[in-house]
Amino acid sequence: MSSTWREFMSWNKYTQVASRALRQALTETDRVAAEKRAAIGVRYQLWENGQGGEQKYVVPQAEPKSAGTPPV
Amino acid sequence: MFTRTVRPALNVARAAQQQSQGMATLREIEQRLKSVRNIEKITKSMKVVASTKLTRAERAMREAKKYGAANNELFKHTEIEKSEEAPKILYVGISSDGGLCGGIHSSISRAVKKAMAEQPGTLAVVGDKPKSQLSRAMPQAFKVTFNAVGKDVPTFAEASAIADEIVKNGGEWDEIKIISNKYLSAISYESGVTSVISAKALQAAAGFQAYEMEEDVSKDLAEFALANAIYTALVEGHAAEISARRTAMENASNNANDMMASLQLQYNRGRQAVITNELIDIITGASAL
Repeated sequence: MSSTWREFMSWNKYTQVASRALRQALTETDRVAAEKRAAIGVRYQLWENGQGGEQKYVVPQAEPKSAGTPPV
Repeated sequence: MFTRTVRPALNVARAAQQQSQGMATLREIEQRLKSVRNIEKITKSMKVVASTKLTRAERAMREAKKYGAANNELFKHTEIEKSEEAPKILYVGISSDGGLCGGIHSSISRAVKKAMAEQPGTLAVVGDKPKSQLSRAMPQAFKVTFNAVGKDVPTFAEASAIADEIVKNGGEWDEIKIISNKYLSAISYESGVTSVISAKALQAAAGFQAYEMEEDVSKDLAEFALANAIYTALVEGHAAEISARRTAMENASNNANDMMASLQLQYNRGRQAVITNELIDIITGASAL
């Protein structure tokens, strides 16, 4: 009997989801340490006929809350 | 200064031009000296930053190599039979986005071009620098590219995400060849090729036939092996890049110091020449009286 997750994702994606669930279940200090090890900032871009497509974040990055650095 | 006014007009003009030329050159040399001094400060600080990052990167690399060794250990026992037709190969070139690191990116581009010349295939690239170099040479071979990796020590999560994208959008392949920089020592690196087997070939391998298992297991194993191999390549490449940046910035600082020494001498000679010319003017002027 094949697991249901196989219809939707690869094994790597499956372990990513499972480890994220585990990380969120840890106590505060351990969780913070684990989140640092799991930060994904990678962007990817599909290519078609020698033309690159739009660049997308694998994990959508949260917008920074502050207005940004001061001008000087 | 009244001695100047008694000299013939021509001489005054020539002397003024010489002196203004001398002063302009002096100012130019001074400006160059100042800018080279600033550059030396920047490259020296970049070298220090790279040295501190190197210790962390080396430590991560030693841990990551164990993942790669575990991978290789497993696949030593699976011999792939050579198929009749040419296997479809997906090359994964692994480098990063940052510059000022010597020949890191060109070494990957050269290795990819050489491998593609012998056995053509499709291409996935991690890193903006090799992407721009290779997209000029072989844009048609690209399937997917990645960037924003390599600012910090790469994590297994990133490697897993990259492997996931490759499996989703990398097309069909029989074999994956990962081209990355191997860290030989703190001052040298070399590009190398790592092979990763595909699910189909795994299933057909003699060693695995001895066991009964579901189809899905070999697919999972192949995907995990890919993530493992990418992780090892990413971390080792990161360490190689930091050490190359350290070396490059050290060379740049040394060159800047040499330039400053020669510019300083030139400046002193120029200054002395200007003073000598002024003295000559004054003395000839005085003797003309």
